[in-house]
Amino acid sequence: MSAKLESEKSNSANKSAAKTSNKIRIGAFLAVMGPGIIAGLSDDDPAGITTYSQLGAQFAYRMLWTLVISTFALILFQDLGARIGVVTRQGLIGLVRQKYGARAGLLAVVSLVLANLGTMTAEFAGIATAGQLFGFSKYITVPISAVLVSFLVLRSSFARVEKVFFVLSAVFFAYVIAGFMSHPHWGTALHGMVTPSMPLTHDAVYIATATLGTTLAPWGLAFIQSYAVDKRLTRDDLKLLRVDVWTGSLLTGVIGFFVIVTCAATLNAHGTTNITDAAQAAAALKPLAGTLAKDLFAVGLIGAALLAASILPLSTAYSITDLMGRPSGVDDKLEEAPLFYATFGILTVIAAVLILIPGAPLITILIVTQILNAVLLLPLLLYMYGISKDKRLMGEFAATRNMRGIYLAIIAIVGVCVAAMLWFTFF
Amino acid sequence: MKATVVPGITSVTKVAKVTQRLVGRKDSVLARKTVRESLVSVAGLIGRPVRDLEGRDIGHLVDIVVRHSADTYPPVSGLIVKVEKRKSFINGARISSLTQDEIRLSSTKINLEDFKRREGESLLDADVLDHQIVDVDGLRVVRSSDLYLAPLDKEIRVVGVDISFRSLVRRLFPGALSRRPTPEHVIDWATVASLADGTGVVRTSSSRSKLSQLRPADLADLIEDLEGREQEAFIEMLEPGLAADALEEMEDDELQGLLRGLPAERSAALLEKMEPDESAEILRDLADDHRESIFKSMDAKVARELRKLVSFDEKLAGGIMTTHLLITVETDTVAHALKLLVENRERDISDGVVVVDGRGRLLDHIQVVELVAAKPTALLSTLIGAPFPTAVTPDTKLEDVVEEFGNNRGSSIIVIDEKSKPVGRILADDLVDALAEESGYRGASQGNGVLS
Repeated sequence: MSAKLESEKSNSANKSAAKTSNKIRIGAFLAVMGPGIIAGLSDDDPAGITTYSQLGAQFAYRMLWTLVISTFALILFQDLGARIGVVTRQGLIGLVRQKYGARAGLLAVVSLVLANLGTMTAEFAGIATAGQLFGFSKYITVPISAVLVSFLVLRSSFARVEKVFFVLSAVFFAYVIAGFMSHPHWGTALHGMVTPSMPLTHDAVYIATATLGTTLAPWGLAFIQSYAVDKRLTRDDLKLLRVDVWTGSLLTGVIGFFVIVTCAATLNAHGTTNITDAAQAAAALKPLAGTLAKDLFAVGLIGAALLAASILPLSTAYSITDLMGRPSGVDDKLEEAPLFYATFGILTVIAAVLILIPGAPLITILIVTQILNAVLLLPLLLYMYGISKDKRLMGEFAATRNMRGIYLAIIAIVGVCVAAMLWFTFF
Repeated sequence: MKATVVPGITSVTKVAKVTQRLVGRKDSVLARKTVRESLVSVAGLIGRPVRDLEGRDIGHLVDIVVRHSADTYPPVSGLIVKVEKRKSFINGARISSLTQDEIRLSSTKINLEDFKRREGESLLDADVLDHQIVDVDGLRVVRSSDLYLAPLDKEIRVVGVDISFRSLVRRLFPGALSRRPTPEHVIDWATVASLADGTGVVRTSSSRSKLSQLRPADLADLIEDLEGREQEAFIEMLEPGLAADALEEMEDDELQGLLRGLPAERSAALLEKMEPDESAEILRDLADDHRESIFKSMDAKVARELRKLVSFDEKLAGGIMTTHLLITVETDTVAHALKLLVENRERDISDGVVVVDGRGRLLDHIQVVELVAAKPTALLSTLIGAPFPTAVTPDTKLEDVVEEFGNNRGSSIIVIDEKSKPVGRILADDLVDALAEESGYRGASQGNGVLS
C-alpha cells in the first residue's frame, strides 16, 4: 500500500523527499508500481495464464485476434475507469447507485461481487494447482494461503510483501523468452492477430469469451477507479495515471501473446490440444527451463495468485461499502467498518472452501470463472459507458461521439460472445 | 491525524449518539403522529402518474424540486413531469394532493414550463437520493435509501431521510411493494447535512448550526469520509473559521488531496484562517505552481508571511514555528496587553505576550497569570524578569530546539532573527508534531489504505 510505502520513505528521513512536491511523489510511485501495472500483472493471474495457455494449445495461432481485441478493450476501459475516478472522485459502484438508482447499484455490486468471487476462487485454484506441482495437497496450501493473504493485507508490512508477490508474478515474463526459444511461426502468429476467424464450435466460443473475461476483468475496472479516488489523484495526475494504465494493459496483452505463442509452438505442435492439468500447461516452459519448467510455472502461479488474491477482497469490500455509504479500507477499525471486514472475510472463506471441495476440477474452475467474468462485465461496461457520456458528471472529460461509438462496439463484442456462449451451452 | 487522541473515546460518544437517535428524539417532527402516518416515500413516488383535477393522466413524475431556505424542512417547490416525451416543470403551488400512488393537480389547465435549475433548489431524485449525506447526530457519512415527504405547516416538505439497507432492498421489488414506506430507520431531516445541489450549496440552517457544535476532529473525519462534490459542498457549508479548524485536524495527505480539488481562492481563504505553521506545512508539500496560485489569491500580507515560513526547512526551527505572536512594547501597559490577549482569544496560542524594547528586540515573554496579577496601569517593563524565555534563531536544528525545551521545561520557545527581533514561536505541540513526523509515527497515509 502506498500509505506504508510513504511511511518507509519518511523513516529513512530523506530530507529531500519531504520537499518534493506531492505530484512528483505520486509520479515516482506510479512509475515504479502503479495501479495500472498491478492490475495488468494481476490480469495475468492463474486464470489468465491458464486461459491463454488453453487458447494456444487448442487453436494455436488462429485465435490470437481475440487477445488483440481484449487488450484493446482493456486499454480503453481501464483508461475510462481512471478518468471517471479522477474527474468524479467517486467509486464506480457508488456512482452507479447515484446516477441510476437502487436497482442499478445493486445489480452492479452483485455483478462485481460474483465476478470477484469467481476470480478469487480462481486464484485459490491457481495456488492449489501450483501446490500440486510441488507435491503439496490443496488441503494444506489453500487454507494456508487464505490465512496468509488475510493476515498480510490486514497487517502493516503489506507493502513489502506485495512487492514480493509482484516479483514472483513477474516470473511470467519467462514466457517472453520461452516464446522466442520455442521457435514459433511468427508469420502465422501475425496472421492470427489480424485475421478474425474461428471455428464455430462450443470450445472456440468458450475460450474466446474466457479470454475477454480474463483480460478485461470486472475487478480491474472497479479497482482502477477506486484507486484514483482513494489516493485523491487529480486532473494533474491524470496524464501519469494514464501512462501507467496503458503500460499495464499493454503488458497484459504482451504476456498473454507470448503465453499463447509459446503454447502454440510447444503444446499444440506436439499434440497437446486440451489442457486438463497444470503439468501440461507448465510443459510449455520446457524450451526455456527444461526440467525446471514445472517449478518456474508453479512459482509464477503462486506469486500472481497471491498478488491478485490480496487486492481482490480489498477492492470488493471497498465497492460494497461504497454502495452503502462511504468506502472503507484497512485503515478503518473493525468496529468502524464491520461491513468492510465482513465482505473481506466472507469472500476469502467462500473462495477457499469452494476449492477445498473434494474433486473440484481446478482447470475447469480457472476457465469457467473467466467466462462468468465476461457475462458480468456487460452491466458494468454499460454503466461505465453511461457515465462516460454524462456531461454533468464528466464535464469536459465526457466521451466524444467517436469514443462512444468505440465503447459501444466493444460492449457489443462482449455481448455477442456472451450470447454465442449461452447458445452453445443451452442448444 | 485521526479523529482523537484517545480512539476509544470517539467510539463511545458515537455509540451514545446513535442510541439516542434510535430511541427517538422528542423534538423531532417524526415523533408526531400526524407526520408519521402521512409519510410518502420519494423513491416510490418517482415514476407515478401526475393527474389533473378530473383524474386524467398528464404525465409521469420524474423528479421533485425542493427549495432550501431558513426553514428546517424544505418545502416542495415544483415537480418535473414527463409529458409525452418532454420533461416539464410544474409549479408546486398547483399540487392539490400528493399520495403514494399519484399526484393530483388543482386544475385542468396546466402550465408546462421548461425546467431550469435555480440556486437554493435541489432535485430529490437526481441530487439527494442515493447520494452521500452527513448524519450529524450519528457522526457518519451515509447514502440515503429513501426520502420521506409529509404535510407540515401547510406545505409538503421533506421531513426525513431513510438510511436503512432494508429500504434499499425494498426499492428492488416491483409494483406497490416498492412504494410502501418503511420508516424504521429514518433520520430527521433537521439532523442531516445534505450536500448535493446542481447549482451551489444546500444551506440547511439547522444542520449548519448543529455542525458548528461538532468538534473539529469529528468534522475532519466526516470530511475525509465524503467523496467528490459532496466533500467540497460540506466544507462550503461550514463557517470558514470552523472549516479551517477542521482542516487542521485532517491527515496531511487527505488535506493536500482536498486542496488540489478546490479552487485556489477557496484554498487561500481556508489556509489564511489556519494557524500559520499548519498552513505552511501543507503549502510546503504542494506542487510549486499550485502553491503559487494559492499565494496569489491570498491577502498580500498573509501571503508574504507564509512564503517566508514555507521557505524554511522543516528540520529547522523556522520550519516548525508559528508566526502568530502577540508583540507588545515595554512601555505598554498591562491593560493593553490583556486587551490584546482577549482580542486574540480565538487563537489557542494566546497564553501570554512577547515584550520587546523600542527597537523591537526581545526582552521577555510574560504569562497571562503574571498580567492578571499585576495592576492594569503598570507598565510591562516592570514585569520583566526571570524566568526569561528561551530564544533560538530560525536556522536552529530541530534536535537543538528539543534540547532547549528539555532544559527550560517551558511551554514555548521564542524564535528571533539575527537582530534579536522575535519572528515566531515554537509551542510544545508543534514540536511533538515535528518529532512525530520525523519518527514516522504518523505514517503519513494517503487515502484510505484500501488499495495497494
